[in-house]
Amino acid sequence: MIGAPLRRREDARILRGETRYLDDIERPEMAHAAFVRSPFAHASIESISVPESAEGLVAVFTAAELGDAVRPFPVMEPAGTEVATSEAHPVLAAGEVRYVGQPVALVIARSRALAEDAAELVEVEYDPRPVITSARASERCLMRWESRAGDVEAAFAQAAHVVSGSYALPRLVAAPMETRGCIASHDAGSDLLTVWCSAQDTHRPLEQLAHILRRPESAIRVIVPDVGGAFGSKGVVAPEVAAVAAAAVRLDVAVKWTEDRLENLLAASQGRGIEGDLELALDADGRMLALRARLWSDLGGYLLTTTPIPPRTAATLIAGCYDIGVADVTVVGAQTHKVPIGPYRGAGRPDAAYMLEALVDEAARQTGIDRVELRRRNLIRTFPHTTPTGLQYDSGDFERCLDLALQLAAANPDEDAACARGTGVALYVERAGGAFESAEIELLSGGRFAIASSSSPHGQGHDITFAQIAADRLGVPVELIELRFGDSATTPAGVGTFGSRSVAMAGSAVAVACDELVERARALAAEVGLGAEPAVNWTALAQAADAPLRAEATFRSANVFSSGAYAATVSIDRATGALTVEHLAAVDDAGILINPLLVHGQVVGGAVQALGECLSEEAVHDEDGQMRSGSFLEYGLLTAADIPPIVTGEVQTPSPLNPLGAKGAGEGGAVGALPAVANAVTDALGGVYVAPPFTAEKLWRALHDEAAGPR
Amino acid sequence: MKPAPFDYAPATSLHEALTLLTREDARPLAGGQSLVPMLNFRLARPALLVDLNPVEELARLEVAPDGSLRIGAMARQASLLHSVQVAAGWPLLADAVMHVGHAATRSRGTVGGSVAHADPKAELPVALAALDARFHVRSRERGSRTLRAAEFSSGPFTTALREDELLVEIEVPAPHAGARMAFAEHARTHGDFAVAGAAVVLAPGDHAAIALLGAAAVPVRVEAAERAARDGAAAPEVARLAAAGIDDAYRRALLTTLTERALRRVLAP
Repeated sequence: MIGAPLRRREDARILRGETRYLDDIERPEMAHAAFVRSPFAHASIESISVPESAEGLVAVFTAAELGDAVRPFPVMEPAGTEVATSEAHPVLAAGEVRYVGQPVALVIARSRALAEDAAELVEVEYDPRPVITSARASERCLMRWESRAGDVEAAFAQAAHVVSGSYALPRLVAAPMETRGCIASHDAGSDLLTVWCSAQDTHRPLEQLAHILRRPESAIRVIVPDVGGAFGSKGVVAPEVAAVAAAAVRLDVAVKWTEDRLENLLAASQGRGIEGDLELALDADGRMLALRARLWSDLGGYLLTTTPIPPRTAATLIAGCYDIGVADVTVVGAQTHKVPIGPYRGAGRPDAAYMLEALVDEAARQTGIDRVELRRRNLIRTFPHTTPTGLQYDSGDFERCLDLALQLAAANPDEDAACARGTGVALYVERAGGAFESAEIELLSGGRFAIASSSSPHGQGHDITFAQIAADRLGVPVELIELRFGDSATTPAGVGTFGSRSVAMAGSAVAVACDELVERARALAAEVGLGAEPAVNWTALAQAADAPLRAEATFRSANVFSSGAYAATVSIDRATGALTVEHLAAVDDAGILINPLLVHGQVVGGAVQALGECLSEEAVHDEDGQMRSGSFLEYGLLTAADIPPIVTGEVQTPSPLNPLGAKGAGEGGAVGALPAVANAVTDALGGVYVAPPFTAEKLWRALHDEAAGPR
Repeated sequence: MKPAPFDYAPATSLHEALTLLTREDARPLAGGQSLVPMLNFRLARPALLVDLNPVEELARLEVAPDGSLRIGAMARQASLLHSVQVAAGWPLLADAVMHVGHAATRSRGTVGGSVAHADPKAELPVALAALDARFHVRSRERGSRTLRAAEFSSGPFTTALREDELLVEIEVPAPHAGARMAFAEHARTHGDFAVAGAAVVLAPGDHAAIALLGAAAVPVRVEAAERAARDGAAAPEVARLAAAGIDDAYRRALLTTLTERALRRVLAP
């Protein structure tokens, strides 16, 4: 079963339209929410006037109205990181707004249309204040992390070559096909608040809502129905969800909020938005001696729960797959008057790989050492490896990834008059796994099994993957395994589905629970006289057992580290500047693969998101902090017709940190494709650096030595 | 993204549509591919939406006895792709409409709707300008009038149409003997609105028309380039003339290239 390319079992249901997304769920007497949002990037709120009545109006809530029933978001404070927790995102704006689209008032009515009509009647008086949109220009630091290892000054002083570069990635939107949303319903009798939430998992929303609403976790039930994509953007409950939940408690009527696309583009947390100055010291042979990196992250107006995480991840991974012992790394998360950033597929990993791999190519150009050879000379070759930023890489074979990527890469293209052509190679290391996940397994009658997992899916294919793991451990066909997800009342506690961690963590929990069940089954079999043969007769055992046979497991481990190498070939039309990615070779080492078909899907999907980042995607705020990419007319999502051929390859070095030898595959494509394409573009431009997205206008100006347009 | 409240009235005949359009703040609804998003964004807030979809007499696409192509305002964009007559006489329209949105939006979106919406990045108004199309408009009170492309388009998202006036039909004159035509554009992604484009119609020695998309907020005919093309100038020279008046270097380069590409396709054996 392990390694079998099985299709997802939910595919037929999805294709027949039988899925139940959040908006498909109805509750009796349900009311609908709309939000009054800030039109200013930064302003004080002087007054709010609420309509006394309107057609279908149920209630209007402002921060004053919610009062002490809510408090601002909990914010993660990773070890060694300064975090300005006082700047946590409020549920509704109180006295001040810090980004366009920030929820100011919640309007509840008998339909969404009526709620939007009534929202227009809420009058808010604002007094605009100065707007900061550049992280570098901001003097307000919301998060800071630094790390120094070794004698950096000495290493730079003795270097034969010092190479530097400044790099930037714009903000992006996650653009899940299903936007965010919730239904909140409060039962006055039991004081139980039930929240159906389009989320990545159940237990993080549970924990966040418990904090914000000042309720014990036992008084909240989170149900995650079918979810149409998240890409990191649904790991933190939306402030809107917290507002709707607080209102439902007050009203004792179920309230639904289905986010529309306008709201999603305006007010859902955005990804990336980082820039950095990097410096690399090399000796005469091209050995990397030391790295300096100073990064600025454009965090936005407030901190959501995980807002500090992506920039910290970028900073910790900044040495990549290279054996650099000496480093001085600082990341500053600056306050700007924009919607907060948050995890978006890769969540700091692409940022690190992009800047470092651009710098390594720059080093190759300046030292005259072939860029592949320069990488080979500096690859980490022994594991475990401790980076100068304090991470411990568990396993990997970076050179095999590199060799395979070069083998799969398209032949070097010939130059021609019409097109500038370039190739690019990049490696990456990805932090995956970590913390804990849980599983509960029960033997059902007829020798079937039910497994409840703490990690719920939103497209990845947990169901078949975990069933394969269980079938392998239990020695039964995969059809006999049923998975249960997505209800905090009936699934065991866990952290959730993000950061390429589900197989390594939740999959390992399933494996350990299965092993425990087999052990109990053997003991029971001996007890009831079913013999001690190695293969357990599950059907007979299910009949013979007095009480249901059950096992549970919580699996914990340190982070595992996936890695990979990507190679891209691009051409740029000299006349128009239009970029064509001709070919992309993607090699990922996600450890032992449970289901290579689904891993392939993850790699291609991630790579496509990276291609969007390269070609056309950019969340644009103007100098007043107004969003200039507020619909898909402006925000350039790729279509299927824009996707080049992608060839994938696999290296499988097992992780020693879990029973499956698994690492993570969810983000590799998004991490590796970006630096490979970016390096190919710089190669085609003859070493001239342009920041993504590589729009035709920017590339044309670079080719024609025109002053670059807007960055 | 729910529209502000409005009244809705389906029209079953052109007469009924024109009568309904005399009401205060009435707006016609064609394929809805632009108007419905604008309603949902609450950028458009009509009091009355007059649905033209049931009006069969507006949906025609046919060649008139005088050899001109008559495109009813409600003819779907996709119909330009499926018409043998369009392919034979006015292939520029099929060429241009291939760039308009995606198959699904072309099935619903109408030619007249695109023209009346007057998005400065839209392809069809530019192709129609190159084909010397005439726009027949009508109102109940004022009757009918006919406008040329330059008269019809007055700015970004604005036309010469008056409040109660409806674009009824687009007349595309019979093609010049031996005319060949092509459309070239640059867009950010497949199916996106164009950044720039060029429509070229050429019957050497007899007739040339070149219309640009992205040179201004309305389709622009470039007469100096047209004269040069008609008189047999080489493609690079015609293209240079076409974009010569554009200040921004990149946009000038883009329009020069696209004009040249369209010309080369027209001139290809």
